[in-house]
Amino acid sequence: MTSIGTGYDLSASTYSPDGRIFQVEYAAKAVENSGTAIGLRVKGGVVLAVEKLVHSKLLVPGANRRIQTIDKHIGMATSGLLADGRHMANRGRDEAASYREVYNSPSPLKIIVDRLGLYAQAYTVYSSVRPFGLSTILGAVDKDGPQLYVIEPSGVFFGYRGAAVGKGRQLAKTELEKLQIGELTMRQAVKEAARIIYLVHEDAKEKEFELEMSWIGDETGGVHLPIPKELQQEAEAAAKASIEVFE
Amino acid sequence: MFDVQSVAHQGPQSRQFNPYTENGGTILAIAGADFSVIAGDTRQSEGYSIQTRYAPKVFQLTDKAVLAVNGFSADGKMFVKKVKQRLEWYRHAHAKDMPIRSIARLIQTMLYSRRFFPYYVYNILGGIEDDGTGSVYSFDPVGSYEREACRAAGAAQSLVQPFLDNQVYYKNQTAGQDESFPTHLPLPSVLKLVVDAFTSATERHIEVGDGLEIYVVLKRDSTAIQSMEGVQEVTTSEEGQRVFYIRRELKKD
Amino acid sequence: MDHFPTNWGRPRNDLHDAYGTYPIHQHPQHAPKDAFADGVKRTQQPIVTGTSVLGVVYKDGVMLAADNLASYGSLARFKDVQRLHPVGNHTVLGVSGDMSDYQYIQKLLEELVIEEFTEQDGSILGPAELHEYLSQVMYARRSKINPLWNSLIVGGVKDGQRFLAYVDLLGTTYKAPTIATGYGAYIAQPLLRKAVEPYTDVLTEEQAQSILEECMRVLYYRDARSLDKFQIATITEEGIRISETRHLASSWSFAEGIRGYGAQTQ
Repeated sequence: MTSIGTGYDLSASTYSPDGRIFQVEYAAKAVENSGTAIGLRVKGGVVLAVEKLVHSKLLVPGANRRIQTIDKHIGMATSGLLADGRHMANRGRDEAASYREVYNSPSPLKIIVDRLGLYAQAYTVYSSVRPFGLSTILGAVDKDGPQLYVIEPSGVFFGYRGAAVGKGRQLAKTELEKLQIGELTMRQAVKEAARIIYLVHEDAKEKEFELEMSWIGDETGGVHLPIPKELQQEAEAAAKASIEVFE
Repeated sequence: MFDVQSVAHQGPQSRQFNPYTENGGTILAIAGADFSVIAGDTRQSEGYSIQTRYAPKVFQLTDKAVLAVNGFSADGKMFVKKVKQRLEWYRHAHAKDMPIRSIARLIQTMLYSRRFFPYYVYNILGGIEDDGTGSVYSFDPVGSYEREACRAAGAAQSLVQPFLDNQVYYKNQTAGQDESFPTHLPLPSVLKLVVDAFTSATERHIEVGDGLEIYVVLKRDSTAIQSMEGVQEVTTSEEGQRVFYIRRELKKD
Repeated sequence: MDHFPTNWGRPRNDLHDAYGTYPIHQHPQHAPKDAFADGVKRTQQPIVTGTSVLGVVYKDGVMLAADNLASYGSLARFKDVQRLHPVGNHTVLGVSGDMSDYQYIQKLLEELVIEEFTEQDGSILGPAELHEYLSQVMYARRSKINPLWNSLIVGGVKDGQRFLAYVDLLGTTYKAPTIATGYGAYIAQPLLRKAVEPYTDVLTEEQAQSILEECMRVLYYRDARSLDKFQIATITEEGIRISETRHLASSWSFAEGIRGYGAQTQ
């Protein structure tokens, strides 16, 4: 990058002469180094999956979760800096609780995403802070049915039927595009999600990883929960088998 | 003559929320030469209603200290909780249990800090001092305290204390020729007194009854405890003090 | 007209309550009042209230009962109110006393449950934890001389343990095999003690239900702030069931023959 040494990349509150904010772009780089996270909006629900790279064999299985719960009906998967993800989740919880306090009903996901987007954006306009090194996938089932959104480090957000962030996002997106995503059942989506995560992990085969998955929808009564053990094992076994066939 | 109007115009009647109530029950403690006995009944009541037949009023604080709390039970629960918390902090800071005399002073400080919105509770603390003697400390709700050999408190204090004065301090008794009263009673006699005190209080006071819980704290190597029915050892400390728990039924009417 | 609902339906000029027939907070007050003078001083009094709640421990769990009435003084104001509130899958809260404070408590619990759920740490609040939480809230509020004007019964089953406990506006707490609030403490509690306490490990669900129904009937006959519509909550290892509203059969024909009291016959 030509930005190095110019001084325009030292602060989020300074544009470069060609109109870029390098600190925000660097934040996006932080996400690219992180394990892939995907989300599928399917018939009757949303499925989230994360390729959690395990940097040490000494870690307890299940440690450092990257899928978190924002409200009963809202789940969140992050890619990027783990600690930033936790901070974002806490903010999400506060926003969801505040919506409930004011309106006495579970919040539509769009509201939460909107507020978190504004929150992320605020960290791109001050010299005293750094932007979130985070791409956030939010999934929910609200009054309008299943919802899926992604918030980028810049604060920009879009709704998706299938979303992928992190290192393997390109391949994951290609795979997601092949699916008839609106036709999948939640159970099928769990299998596909597991397969995609295992597939994109092929590029970083030497690294250990844990597949972390959760869902919200008809299968869970509209509540965000981890995938049941048996289904998770079944999906992982199928995913492994599909990789071997692929090879 | 009773004039309704004049009474009615005496200004606004105060109808303030009363943050206190009394939950009945009685506690007592007796110190021996090398032991201490702390006891309380387990009935909790409000007015003429029995709320429950089992609500403990006697709590083991450390391996050598037991606290009995009587009065307004919500205050009592909170107070015991806070004392235990302070004792835990003390352990973390000093790697040992707080001595009895210090617990007593701590309780005074905690009670007096609420001088103008008191914990409505009467406390009796029993245990073994550092010098190995059995001790009893009694407190009023705002922290006034003293070390004694025996004390009763609560609903039936006025029934039990005179009995104890007579049987422990030998008040109003005269020793026979060439006889003298012992300064300390042996444990079996004390336990008999405790059980008798509570069965009698149960007979004569409606707020006392249901169950009796007795804690005995023994000095190291003390042989005071005899084989007694239903005695259960609770803890033994590194320093050798032992705590025993005895439960007896009381009448439930 | 006296616009003070807690005075409605009470004898006039009853300044001296020699027999302690009024709950302390409802002592009649008929003196002319300055609308503002004591407005600041007066801490609170319950406005819309629910009457007794009953709770029993039986063989397979815990059962609570409460009628569906919320009274405005002596006025039967709301006749379809549920006073049994499920919290999670192991606990039911039965509430008597002020209904707006009850709704506030519901809000607190909803917040608490979501906070705990989002932790996703595998631990779930059971009846014991919720009772402790409510005790702390109630005691803290009484200590600010700003109580939540309720008597609460917390019932539940978790990890094979049956749990039944009480907490009120003073922060007073206790556990017992049978509990009743309000007038239930005087009228139903003795009946429950006799019918339930020796048999908590053998009473079937059907037996517990019929005992509670009978107590609710007695309360309906004697408690003027009660209703003949009630619900029963059953908490077992399997989860929570809160019944549909049930109707209490009662017969008032005996009243036809009553002409005054004592020697008065006409």
